[in-house]
Amino acid sequence: MTKSLREILGSDKFITTAEVGPVKGTNVQKMVDHITLLKDKVDALNVTDNQSAVMRYPSLGTCLLIMEQDGEPVFQITCRDRNRLSIQADLLFAFSRGIENVLCLTGDSLKMGDHPEAKPVYDIDSVQLIQLVHTLNSGKDFSGNSLDGEVDFCIGASATPSADPIEPQLIKYEKKLKAGIDFVQTQAVYDLDELERFVNYSRNINKSVKILAGIVLLVSAGMAKWMNENIPGIFVPQNLIDELAEVPKGEGLSKGIEIAGNLIKRIKDEKICDGVHIMAIGKEEKVPDILQVAGILKG
Amino acid sequence: MIGQVKKPIEEILEYLEGKKKVVIYGCGGCATVFHTGGEPEVNEMRSILTENGKDVLAAISPPFGEFTCYAPWSKKRMSGYKEQVKDCDAIVMLCCGDGLQVVREYILENDFGLNKSIYPGTNSVGHMGGGPSLFREKCIQCGECELGKLCGICPMTQCAKGLLNGPCGGTRKDGKCEVNPDNDCAWVLIYKRLKELGELDKMREIIQPKDWSKMQRPRSLEVEPLSLE
Repeated sequence: MTKSLREILGSDKFITTAEVGPVKGTNVQKMVDHITLLKDKVDALNVTDNQSAVMRYPSLGTCLLIMEQDGEPVFQITCRDRNRLSIQADLLFAFSRGIENVLCLTGDSLKMGDHPEAKPVYDIDSVQLIQLVHTLNSGKDFSGNSLDGEVDFCIGASATPSADPIEPQLIKYEKKLKAGIDFVQTQAVYDLDELERFVNYSRNINKSVKILAGIVLLVSAGMAKWMNENIPGIFVPQNLIDELAEVPKGEGLSKGIEIAGNLIKRIKDEKICDGVHIMAIGKEEKVPDILQVAGILKG
Repeated sequence: MIGQVKKPIEEILEYLEGKKKVVIYGCGGCATVFHTGGEPEVNEMRSILTENGKDVLAAISPPFGEFTCYAPWSKKRMSGYKEQVKDCDAIVMLCCGDGLQVVREYILENDFGLNKSIYPGTNSVGHMGGGPSLFREKCIQCGECELGKLCGICPMTQCAKGLLNGPCGGTRKDGKCEVNPDNDCAWVLIYKRLKELGELDKMREIIQPKDWSKMQRPRSLEVEPLSLE
């Protein structure tokens, strides 16, 4: 990666980012392999923070691995596991080591994860986290004390275009826009009309915020149905479920790659939004194949 | 009120191992409402402990309305049982943790000058309102009530994550919470209510980070004593 995410967000390039999911343990080789495979094929690598409330190798540590491989990391921070002191300290450390992109998230409930007995933090929420990063960017800490050595983060947030009910989510998203973000990364979207409605809504409020559509790689009809039933804010339309159900056994992944690639191609060709964030959840090595179907990576 | 449930009897018996003479003290307040320390529960505890070989010197159930956590009342009530308390090996409190500690500190230690073993018979599970049968936690006593900004619904209590600026992505289609589908998403409730009130713009205002120092424990208050006469 030769350009920073901030530079790319400021250009007209169709942005592609991919997710790196930290491992449980210290065997980081698999992550390093994914990083080296993907770092020059996408514009940034986005690292989850104890995703699904499952304890893993840290987001910050994985961002450092990306830096070591000369990649461009996006540091995801949730409000679940750290209070405002700890978040700020991690941000100072991150910036001092060249990590300049931060994605501000609430964080999945502990009840969903593997340490349900832990004490949740949520000292601040995702809107206030965006405010916190802005405050650091202004040279002050969150209590107004001056910083010795400044930071300048590129700030991202999340949104859920397929949420039902959608209005409360959109009002919260408005607050994120008001607090000030450079880019938004959406929850998985499969219905591009819904995506387009969200993009119009966002651009009506703030034209300059770049919108990356979340693309989760489907691997089977069962997975699609499971997400529809169990993950609020994700809706896989029936025609895609049918497509996955019709392929012979063992070919679900290829079909999923085709679906994801075609979605990205349409988003790019029809200029629906500014880019995509690909979540291949455990199948990161397939991201180049998705990009190839999308016509972004020349094979 | 302080919501509470009974502790498993095995746990209470474990506390009482090696203790023969026991005093039981209930509560005419919340514990009566939650059926953890009213007269029937105090009597039930007396039977259980007797069956388990304990010598119950006194089983005190204050009348409905007499809160054990209010020291002037518990002081008055306990003054009638000073001898049994002196003589016992342990006291089992069928009330919330407030009541137990008020009795331990204000009555046993300060008033009677006794250092007695005292054990809880309940688990307190939150500051609750509602009833007569269903109670829900409504307030976390944050020290700086935000209900005025939030149309009378507290997301710090109602939202599983205590979020102050809107829902997380975990709102289900039926408006329920992903964390516990029995519960409504606090922010869907707030949204609907503000919309009905014609005050949806209030939901667009960013609520600033909470001053949690207002919850720095232990908190205390000094008030003009109430006349009990």
